[in-house]
Amino acid sequence: MKIGLMITCINDALYPDAAISVVKVLERLGHAVYFPEGQSCCGQMHLNSGYRVEGIELAKRSIDVFESFDYIVSPSASCVGTIREVYHNAAVATGDHSFEESASQFAPKVFEFSEFLIDVLKVEDVGASFPHKVAYHPTCHSLRVTKAGDRPRRLLEAVRNLKLVEMEKEDSCCGFGGVFALKNSDTSIAMGSDKFASVKKSGAEVLCSLDNSCLTHIGSIADRMKSGLKVMHLAEILAQTGDEK
Amino acid sequence: MTSRTFDDPRPFQKQVIAALNDSQLRANLGHATSTIRNKRAKVVAELDDWEALRDHGAYIKDLAQSQLPELIRMVETNVTKAGGHVHYAKDGAEANAIAISLTKSYGAKSVVKIKSMATQEIELNKAFEEAGLEAYETDLAELIVQLGDDLPSHILVPAIHKNRAQIREIFIENMGKSGVPAPEGLTDSPKELAAAARSHLRARFLESKVAVSGGNFLVAETGSIVIVESEGNGRMCLTLPETLISVVGIDKIVPDWDSLDVFLQLLPRSSTGERMNPYTSVFTGVTPGDGPKNFHLILLDNGRSDALKDPVGREVLRCIRCSACLNVCPVYERAGGHSYGSTYPGPIGAVLVPQIRRGALGKLEKSLPYASSLCGACYEVCPVKIDIPKLLVELRSQNVDSARNDGDVSGEKLLMEGVYTAFNNPRLFVAFLDLARKGASLVGKRRINIAPPPLSAWTKARSLPIPNGVSFRDWMKEYHPEQIVKATKKKNSALSAKSAVNGLRQIAKFGLHLERDIAKQSRKFVATNHSNENQSVAPLSDRRTDGEAIDSFIAPIEAIVGSNFTKPTEPTTDYRRSGSLSHEETIELFIDRIIDYKATITRCSEGDLPTAIEELLTKNGTSSLVAAQDLNPSWLSRETLKIVTFDNSISNDRLDEIDSVVTSTAVAVATSGTIILDGSQGQGRRAISLIVDHHIAVVFEDQIVEVLPEATKRIDRYAPQTWISGPSATSDIELERVEGVHGPRKLDVVVVKRG
Repeated sequence: MKIGLMITCINDALYPDAAISVVKVLERLGHAVYFPEGQSCCGQMHLNSGYRVEGIELAKRSIDVFESFDYIVSPSASCVGTIREVYHNAAVATGDHSFEESASQFAPKVFEFSEFLIDVLKVEDVGASFPHKVAYHPTCHSLRVTKAGDRPRRLLEAVRNLKLVEMEKEDSCCGFGGVFALKNSDTSIAMGSDKFASVKKSGAEVLCSLDNSCLTHIGSIADRMKSGLKVMHLAEILAQTGDEK
Repeated sequence: MTSRTFDDPRPFQKQVIAALNDSQLRANLGHATSTIRNKRAKVVAELDDWEALRDHGAYIKDLAQSQLPELIRMVETNVTKAGGHVHYAKDGAEANAIAISLTKSYGAKSVVKIKSMATQEIELNKAFEEAGLEAYETDLAELIVQLGDDLPSHILVPAIHKNRAQIREIFIENMGKSGVPAPEGLTDSPKELAAAARSHLRARFLESKVAVSGGNFLVAETGSIVIVESEGNGRMCLTLPETLISVVGIDKIVPDWDSLDVFLQLLPRSSTGERMNPYTSVFTGVTPGDGPKNFHLILLDNGRSDALKDPVGREVLRCIRCSACLNVCPVYERAGGHSYGSTYPGPIGAVLVPQIRRGALGKLEKSLPYASSLCGACYEVCPVKIDIPKLLVELRSQNVDSARNDGDVSGEKLLMEGVYTAFNNPRLFVAFLDLARKGASLVGKRRINIAPPPLSAWTKARSLPIPNGVSFRDWMKEYHPEQIVKATKKKNSALSAKSAVNGLRQIAKFGLHLERDIAKQSRKFVATNHSNENQSVAPLSDRRTDGEAIDSFIAPIEAIVGSNFTKPTEPTTDYRRSGSLSHEETIELFIDRIIDYKATITRCSEGDLPTAIEELLTKNGTSSLVAAQDLNPSWLSRETLKIVTFDNSISNDRLDEIDSVVTSTAVAVATSGTIILDGSQGQGRRAISLIVDHHIAVVFEDQIVEVLPEATKRIDRYAPQTWISGPSATSDIELERVEGVHGPRKLDVVVVKRG
């Protein structure tokens, strides 16, 4: 089994810790992951904001770069969701049959991190320990596109010393939405501050999710409020063994 | 009475500010949307074939689109055969002109209206006002909006933004100006407010000569119009005036009655979160002795055939206006309806409005596709599976493509193209990461709180993380160099010095040009959507005859459907077409559902029926009773026979004074607790079971079926029908359900064992 790591542009540039954690967890489970250096971005940003011509080129590049792998794992439900749905829609809308074909062959090989652990590696307990109160935010794309279901919770519940706390309206959108956060910044902030309020009310010390983009949004409000709330990608929590400083 | 219309051409992000800052509105919306959302989820979960129903709903609508020219011809044939007239309106101005001319030709100065999205879309009320006529809204929420000189903010609950205290003030202040004033000492209890609306509108219903409606479905097979509602105002408008004018969009046409089996399960559950709305009216043309003498159907295009041209976007024409997408939308929940700047708010409005105004996209229309975080909650609940996120992305792409074709240069375009160049080139991407990190290291922080545009939109309330330390690929190089897969030559060849320089230049240019270009863009997108307002319309007499009208109306649709139009594939899973419960279980389920609607249930044998009816009448304090002329007199006891009047064209005013009505039933549906009257023996004309305040409906056990598809096989499809699910009700005030508005406030159902 040759596993390719699609780390996403945002993790590569801004959140190397989440990306490193993916490598560490998979290593701990006995799997080496390979990083094709030709990767950059799956094309989501361009595709979703209407720059379809560019988005399709980036999509094709991603497919090319990962062509030789049996499994591709990515710590982003939203990028995986883009590959599964948006590639197809863009191909159909532009009548690009060869892209439609390559996208449909590519998509089944791509797994979001929690799916990969549960469905492919069949593990729930990855040997992690994390003595904190954690709230889990199901991001919209993990909820409705990749349909992660209870996988992330099962992984978190198996973490030693971790206390999972419930959050009101947990499935409501954090208001990030890519270009939405800039083009409709006021509405985005209204959504984000409501989300932040429910995280805060849950009593969590750490907010966890499957996407660093959503965590950026909630985390940036939390930071601006100097709330002390920490945001961590699922991989970062699963990488903790309790031996850290 | 004034008729305000949406006339703010500013983009969504400007219009939304007022709503975001209105704490009362935010509270009203949060409460209301979560209430309907939960109700919907509960009743949807009851059906194990919900997904199959959705698949069929989408399929039927797609099928109807692909057969639209034939279906329109079928509608014309069947409506005409049933004594109605069909008119064709290319746009709103034509539709209004026809409706105005018809109203005048019947000598009416005022019409009563059923809540209708189509007539709002074409701004019929305003056109009537300008023609010296009055169009009076009778749906409670629409009445609140009209009396308050307000604008609707929701498809189903247009006054969702008002709470009970605000509604009370509107009633006290304005009801008296246009009819029966609000009663003395009116409080803000929803029950009292609904009662005030009942008395305010009663005389109007009884006196009005002309009514105007829309239509939820138009069944081509029989030419029947279906109208769903809760309060009974719809039944009043459809039954009492002499003339009925229905304005129906061509997207509302469905092929056949099987379609209704699907949509009348999908719509109420998605819309009000009920198993079935209290009243569904079905009628075909005119019926002698029952309802209006004149019926005019105005078929409306108004941009729908333009939307049909777009192979991706045409999916939007499946919409059945349920508003489930609004209730789950996190953007709508904060923005409210007015921010969307049109009759159609929320996610569906964001995709529908730009498509039916394809020829005239102004700032507002171009901004709507961006009014979404693409969270996908709308698609998840849509009963006809409109992939709204997909359509939003499609419309964004069309915006970008058209700006590109026009040669427009914007800061956004420069940025997106610059980032693309960097992303599409591994070495440049690495250089880009390095550059960003070096820049960030100068700042010496991991997060910044102030950034230049467009990132200032982010930093006004959020800190911005900036690249710091190592990138992931640097870490890999250091710790796992053997696990790095080198980029192939093919990919590297994409890199040329020229493209690298271009990329960086684009990014640099972006910063300089952004503000200026945006300003230029703004000036360029002059709103053109309101430029048609003063267009004059030829009087009816100068127009084509109907025969020619249908051909020219259909021609553009035929051109679209005739070429390159994919036929939909039939879903593989079927919905439930027959029940699975035993007879006794079916009866039990029916009874449960009826009680849930706050109607009463009496069970008896056929022999005990006269006593049962008499007891119900006594309990109600009834001193006068009406029944259809052909009601079996052996159902009535000797005492009852003394107070009964068998209907013989009793006047509406007289009916209004009678205490109770007793009718038989054609068929009843257990799953939704619905009884259906189709005018067959013992049911009489629609007015008697409408105007009278207390309705006793007799249902025989063998008339109860489990699911809707079994019931529609048993009714007279051409007869005017009333489907009743509980007493009249409204949830227009803060989503609190109040039983009893315009239709009978009390419903007693007698379930009878034969023999």
